Amino acid sequence: MKSIKNTWQREEGGIDFVQLIVGLMIIAIAAVGTFQALIYGYEQLDYEMRYRKAVSVARSYMEYWQGRIHTDINLYDRQVLNGNLGRPEVLLLDERDPTIDYDDVYCQVSYGPIDMVDLPTTGVGTDHFNLRVYVTWWEPEQREDRPPHEILFHASMVPAAL
Amino acid sequence: MIALKKRLKCDSGWTFIEATLSVVIMAIMVLGLTIVLMAFREHLDRSWSIRVMDQYGNDVIERLTHELRNAVDVTVRPSVRNTHKIDIQYLDPYVHDLYHTNTWRADLQRSQILIDNDPIDKTFPPRSPGRGESFQIIQFTLSPYGQLTPNDSERRDSFNRASNFVNATYDIRFKLRYNRAAVNPGERNWKFEREYRNRVYMRNKNLIVKKGITE
Repeated sequence: MKSIKNTWQREEGGIDFVQLIVGLMIIAIAAVGTFQALIYGYEQLDYEMRYRKAVSVARSYMEYWQGRIHTDINLYDRQVLNGNLGRPEVLLLDERDPTIDYDDVYCQVSYGPIDMVDLPTTGVGTDHFNLRVYVTWWEPEQREDRPPHEILFHASMVPAAL
Repeated sequence: MIALKKRLKCDSGWTFIEATLSVVIMAIMVLGLTIVLMAFREHLDRSWSIRVMDQYGNDVIERLTHELRNAVDVTVRPSVRNTHKIDIQYLDPYVHDLYHTNTWRADLQRSQILIDNDPIDKTFPPRSPGRGESFQIIQFTLSPYGQLTPNDSERRDSFNRASNFVNATYDIRFKLRYNRAAVNPGERNWKFEREYRNRVYMRNKNLIVKKGITE
């Protein structure tokens, strides 16, 4: 300890080779950390764009079913009775880099069976319909054995507007 | 170890090897950092422009969706290139039997969507774009359900649907392109396209409200 103090005392304001290397290593570690933070922020912004688009996809399917219930509902239709759970439609969610195809992000869209709710107190038959639309997707770099990101839209529609 | 300590202890300056190594290591670090920073700056510039475009695309879709939801009728006419002129008719909320019409169209010269010749957003495209940057409208269409769709199952499904459903369900498609032209030697042209779409069921088209009965 004494000898180190002596060394520092003798030093005439400059830095030696070891100090320079240590300094550069600290700068390098700090730069890596900073870039990782910037990349994380950039990925989060990208995720938000995909999330918004997935909401738009879910809403489009919800509009389809609201229109069907309004004008063109067949209660014995296979689509109405079963939905398409288990065999979802696949849509392009985000193209990402336009020069390559293998980084594209796709989503799966499924809808549950349309539930017809008949309240016993009203006596008018079906009082309202319950609809559910699911949009799921995996983020880039996300392992497929992890749970996907999911948006669930759940709506009820009364046939009184018919 | 003792020899190394001794050497460090009696180190009173820089040897030629140390100085050379320092210069080489610092040069590599500075060069690497500069390249990474320049690449990151380019990436951020593109990312910012794409986000501005994304916001505009979503704004247009949201506003058109909102108008169509409240409209009682819509007329679609072909316009220049892959765009439509869309006349949206809606009821006056205060005066009985009074209809208004808004006309939506794409101005391909200025890359803007206009409502009655008034731009939706005066800040798009940005007034001071970056070097080589430009925006283009590739598609602005409104089509009944099952038409102009790349989805075959939707097209097939549309043939099985009732006419009052197909005539009241519209798909909005709005495609924008961001161009980044090469400015310096060694750069390459780059473009990014994104399609914004939404579906609207115009419920008022099939309701008595269309006849002006609002109470």
